[in-house]
Amino acid sequence: MATEQLVVAPLLVALVTAILTLVVHRYVRAQKAVSALGGVAYVGAVAMLIQRVRSGAGSHGVEGVLTYQLSNWGAPFGITLVADDLSAFMLGLTAVVSLLALAFSILYVDEAGQRVSYHPLYHFMLVGVTGSFLTADIFNLFVWFEVMLMSSYVLVVFYSGPRHTKAALQYVVLNLVGSAFMLLAIGGLYSTTGTLNMADMARRLADPASFGITLAPVLGLSAVLFVVFALKAGIVPFQWWVPAAYRAAPAPVSAMLAGVVKKVGIYAIIRLYFTVFANAAPMDLALPGVVGESTLAFFGPVLFIMGAASIILGGVAAVNRDNVDDLLAYSSIGQVGFIVIALAFAAGGVVAGWQAPEPYGSVAVLGLAAALVYSLNHALAKAALFLASGAVYESVGSIEFEDLGGIAGRMPLLSAGFFVAALSLVGIPPLVGFFGKFLVFDAAVNAGSNLGIGLALLGAILTIAYVTRAWNRGFWGERSEAVEQATPQYGLFATVLVLAVVALGVGVAFDPVVEAAIDAANAALETGDYIEAVGLEDSLTSDGGGH
Amino acid sequence: MTPDLWVLLALVGLPFLGAAAVPLVYRILGERTAYFAALVALACLGLVGLLYGTEGAQSVDWVPALGIELRFYVDGLALLIATLASGVGVCILTYSGGYMHGEPGQPKYYATLLAFMGSMLGVALAADLITLFLFWELTSLTSFLLIGHYTTESSSQYAARKSMLITVAGGLFMLVGFVLLHAVSADALGSATWALAGEGSMLENAGAMREALESEGLFVVVLALLGIGAAAKSAQVPLHIWLPNAMEAPTPVSAFLHSATMVKAGVYLVGRMRPLFLPADAHPGSLELWTLGFAALGLLTMTVTAILAVAATDIKELLAYSTASHLGLIIAGFGFAGHLGAETGAFHILNHALFKATLFLVAGIVAHEAGTRKISELGGLREDLPITAGIAAIASLGMAGVPPFNGFYSKEFLFHAAWETGAASGGLYYLIPVVAVFGSVFTFLYSIRFLMLFFGEKPDELGHVHSPPVAMLAPPALLAALAAVVGIGGITGTFDVPLGPLEEFVGSVMHAVEPAGAEETSFHYYLPTTVTPWAIMSALTIAFGAALYPQYGRLHDGIRSLLRGPVRANWWYDTATEELNPTSTAVRDRVQNGLLRTYATWVAAAFAVLTFAGYVGASVDVPVPQEPATYLPLALTAVVLVASVTVFGDLSLRVATTVAGVLSVLALGIFAWAIFGLGLTPAELATQPPVVFVLALAAVAGIAVSRAPSHIAGVLTLSILGFMVAIFYILRDAPDLALTQLVVETLVLVIFLLVLDKLPAFYGGWDRGRMARDGVLSLAVGAVVTTTVLVTTAASPNEESVIARGLAEASYPEAGGNNIVNVILVDFRAFDTMGEIAVVSMAALSIVTLIALRERGETR
Repeated sequence: MATEQLVVAPLLVALVTAILTLVVHRYVRAQKAVSALGGVAYVGAVAMLIQRVRSGAGSHGVEGVLTYQLSNWGAPFGITLVADDLSAFMLGLTAVVSLLALAFSILYVDEAGQRVSYHPLYHFMLVGVTGSFLTADIFNLFVWFEVMLMSSYVLVVFYSGPRHTKAALQYVVLNLVGSAFMLLAIGGLYSTTGTLNMADMARRLADPASFGITLAPVLGLSAVLFVVFALKAGIVPFQWWVPAAYRAAPAPVSAMLAGVVKKVGIYAIIRLYFTVFANAAPMDLALPGVVGESTLAFFGPVLFIMGAASIILGGVAAVNRDNVDDLLAYSSIGQVGFIVIALAFAAGGVVAGWQAPEPYGSVAVLGLAAALVYSLNHALAKAALFLASGAVYESVGSIEFEDLGGIAGRMPLLSAGFFVAALSLVGIPPLVGFFGKFLVFDAAVNAGSNLGIGLALLGAILTIAYVTRAWNRGFWGERSEAVEQATPQYGLFATVLVLAVVALGVGVAFDPVVEAAIDAANAALETGDYIEAVGLEDSLTSDGGGH
Repeated sequence: MTPDLWVLLALVGLPFLGAAAVPLVYRILGERTAYFAALVALACLGLVGLLYGTEGAQSVDWVPALGIELRFYVDGLALLIATLASGVGVCILTYSGGYMHGEPGQPKYYATLLAFMGSMLGVALAADLITLFLFWELTSLTSFLLIGHYTTESSSQYAARKSMLITVAGGLFMLVGFVLLHAVSADALGSATWALAGEGSMLENAGAMREALESEGLFVVVLALLGIGAAAKSAQVPLHIWLPNAMEAPTPVSAFLHSATMVKAGVYLVGRMRPLFLPADAHPGSLELWTLGFAALGLLTMTVTAILAVAATDIKELLAYSTASHLGLIIAGFGFAGHLGAETGAFHILNHALFKATLFLVAGIVAHEAGTRKISELGGLREDLPITAGIAAIASLGMAGVPPFNGFYSKEFLFHAAWETGAASGGLYYLIPVVAVFGSVFTFLYSIRFLMLFFGEKPDELGHVHSPPVAMLAPPALLAALAAVVGIGGITGTFDVPLGPLEEFVGSVMHAVEPAGAEETSFHYYLPTTVTPWAIMSALTIAFGAALYPQYGRLHDGIRSLLRGPVRANWWYDTATEELNPTSTAVRDRVQNGLLRTYATWVAAAFAVLTFAGYVGASVDVPVPQEPATYLPLALTAVVLVASVTVFGDLSLRVATTVAGVLSVLALGIFAWAIFGLGLTPAELATQPPVVFVLALAAVAGIAVSRAPSHIAGVLTLSILGFMVAIFYILRDAPDLALTQLVVETLVLVIFLLVLDKLPAFYGGWDRGRMARDGVLSLAVGAVVTTTVLVTTAASPNEESVIARGLAEASYPEAGGNNIVNVILVDFRAFDTMGEIAVVSMAALSIVTLIALRERGETR
């Protein structure tokens, strides 16, 4: 039993930390210490959970899928948390980024801000992210989305200037519209399928006749839900809030938003569309450009178009930005586009059943593994870059390119960290970014998508264009007055360097990572295991064999 | 004999370790770090020496899950490139000790140079496609850093970015080619592999690979992708443009990376892939797809860039174009089928590295000592730099292809191969030898021009030119001596006393680039003793060159006057990169215009389109209620709506009265229809009016909000809508919901009234187009939401399977509560409630934050 309770541990750790930091907020040092300890404990909890999942611990006789029933109310009646390889992968990248961003925050965010609300909000955001990765209940997912939204909203508006307020207003309005859509979809799915539990839903969709379910509305309802996830992931045409919000938020929050919170949208797409909706019984689809009888036949082309538009818009818009954060924000839109086209290849693979060489076996697994590895790369590299931007701000006093120049000579350590992270974005081996690009290419090739290959190349070239431009304007060139008089913040530089070293280390020791990604992809596609591990019951009453 | 793994790992790893040690070493040795680095290079050269006589592959796992290895392979070609990388490295690093005296950024310079050397050794020895790509990109990267060495110069930045864009992007094309090869290898070899050479590799099964590539229609595609990668790296037209700019790097870097080694990576790739794409039965003169591609590319580059070299005004620019031209020659050589092509490429790699590295180092001496690199400002340097002049003579005559200097022999092989190919196919293919001669004439011209820097009149402005230090003189002297030895080998070879080891070595390189099973030929080179077409071609080249040389100035000016606009590949690059910036801003401004209205419009529209497509795609039946009684409230609500529009609209009294009259009649008619037509009893009818009243009032309030004269009036009418919804809940037996709704409405009303004071009273005019668009959009969103509600409420999953039933059953016996809503909130789904409590507390925190940190943000 102890193993199963571990599933809820990361969430509880973050929650308790959030509350404790609130309680001790009068004592700044104590608050910082509690916050930092909480961050470390979170990493520890995640590490233990990953270790258990990877070593094959599981529930209901399914290896590697751990489930936990909240309050011991059996599924599908109570709320279920599931930790499988997919959740473990996402939690792993969250743990690394969150700890470093937290360390950076403690050194970076001004004292008053930390005392008021920064630490509780930060840990609440972590609670929301963790809950989203673990839950197997779509209404519960909504709750964690709200937790994430509320905390990130306050963190975006944190500095409370006009620019921040405007960005936060747009952020919160668009995301509240998203929340309304999400409720609509969840309500619709509940009244259509009669359940909220994802495993149960997958089971029912596979056998609609036995449960008296009409399948037809599910496609439209899943489209409503898709809008919400696309909004969270910030892909075109739902990218609107991204640039201003990333620009307004404190650097470590931008690092978390771009590195981790965006990935919640990606994760949700994988979990719901590949694990749940793809399990639905075949349905007749009558739309131009849609071939197949799976929901993914509809979402494959949609993902591809949205990913393509994101790569182009993000890449082009990033080239000529006036400050580091804007450039990084647009870059995020483009980079997530790479993840999304990998998902499109995976969707195509599921629908058409394309084969891929070992160790993937299928294009579906390859595409998902590519998306996951790229997500990891983006989490590490983009977080490092946002932290670097914050470090530049703290040292130099500006992140406008016109005030910068010659940082490389003045602050070589910071520059090295920035450079390595930027190269990971470009995809230079042996950094993890190389493997991200490589797997996307591999997925495109095995999916036979020439258009996809062309797009990925175009996106990569645009990445080189904006990365080199940023480097030339900020880090090389004549040393500006501001840079000359900078006070280097070595503590901040250290966090950037650690992330850069992790990006390098993951690439050099890539084997366990790619194995984890492939297992995660398989976990996403093996709906049967997911259902079995959740252990659905018929009734809650004792005579029904439940509680 | 297979090579030792430890030697290979030490060889590739040592320079990186050296690079890592440089910052520390620099603290101790200062500028003498150059000699430390040279020692590292010397050690590498020694390790390369240990590899001589071995052949075969060794590997260690890198990513076993994907079958990716750090795999190395030793053969003639690998040894040639590795020897150049470490051998020229020794010379360059020694030379740097003199050249870089007093220059900025030396630790970075030496660390990067050593890292480059390691990467280049890696490229030479790699036998796994991913390993090869790894080192390939690392050479591009180190090149980027070295080109941008003078970081404050904008020309350096321009050059560095250009080289990065072109070589790294080219590398990505190559990577796609590699991925395709990997995919094809699954069919060709039974299981997919990344191994390029060695046991079970692609090259070992070249025939099967070729067949599989052809049967899958990928032959041309892969060839093109690899070609782009090689062309970008080896500066082939039209991707040659980065190389002249790369001369912004310190001269030792130009000599090392941008002539002797890094730019050879593309050439190396072509040589390495040659046995994979050329059929085993290819022979001199046979016209394969490979030949058409690479011979054409090579000859085009050789000619175009030789012409551009004549137009150069700066000695390093001249050498850069010349490098591209000679790389073209090598590519063309490898392009030709059979042993002649292999000989050309293999031998010219060596010859070019020897004479070109020498010339760059000479150019460095000239620039360093004379203080200028302008061709027009230099002349008669022989007086002050006699030894340098001798060195330059050997190297530039080799470059010109004058017998008996080293470049002559490899060019002779090219002519031979070109002639055989032209003659074998005849007709238009005779253009091949013609182009080869044409391009070579220009090579002759600029080579002589470079040499003439040392002869003729010394311009008065030049002043006294110092002698270079020994550290700068010894390396080019050594390289020139080696070039001379190769030349002498040709003379003795003519008399049957060949330079055995050299011929054997070049032979092994040749063997490496020939397809397995090709006819075994041993390598010999000597001066022509009989009159052959290719000897005549050589003679013609020299004759034309000598005849044209007096016109050099006019040629130079003529070519320059032609180089305008889109004729220049640079024009395309500059236009593209310069246009990208305004485009970027235009796209950003157009898309992210900062208006929430635009954003919300797109989100709503995308939602409507996607959902609608989902419903249409799955052919959803929208359930239309069949019970006529359902329509009664709807019809009545519609009547009231129209009436209210009439009242609130700006209509004349007469129109309003008319409409009201018609509506009254209509309403009466509906009631009559309901009673007589549908047979509803008045008792049944009595349940309808409250609902109708409430909904109608809500709808009226909705319309009134949009017409409200002030914010206050708007908010008040809006709250009517909210309260009506609450009453509707009461009528529908949901008191809990009604209570919640009432609380929310009251709070919202109060908050609104508090805030409204702060808002401007008037926002501006109405735009009819926008209103129409917003109207259509809101109708579309409303329609989609309504459809969703209709469709999903009509769905009826089996009663006993719905989880609500299970919860209801368990509510009292298991959770001890009679109110199921409460039990769900605090017990069954207490976890959700906990999350929502967190949300509420954060909302409180947000208010605290906004107030506490107000105005602080101005500084951020």
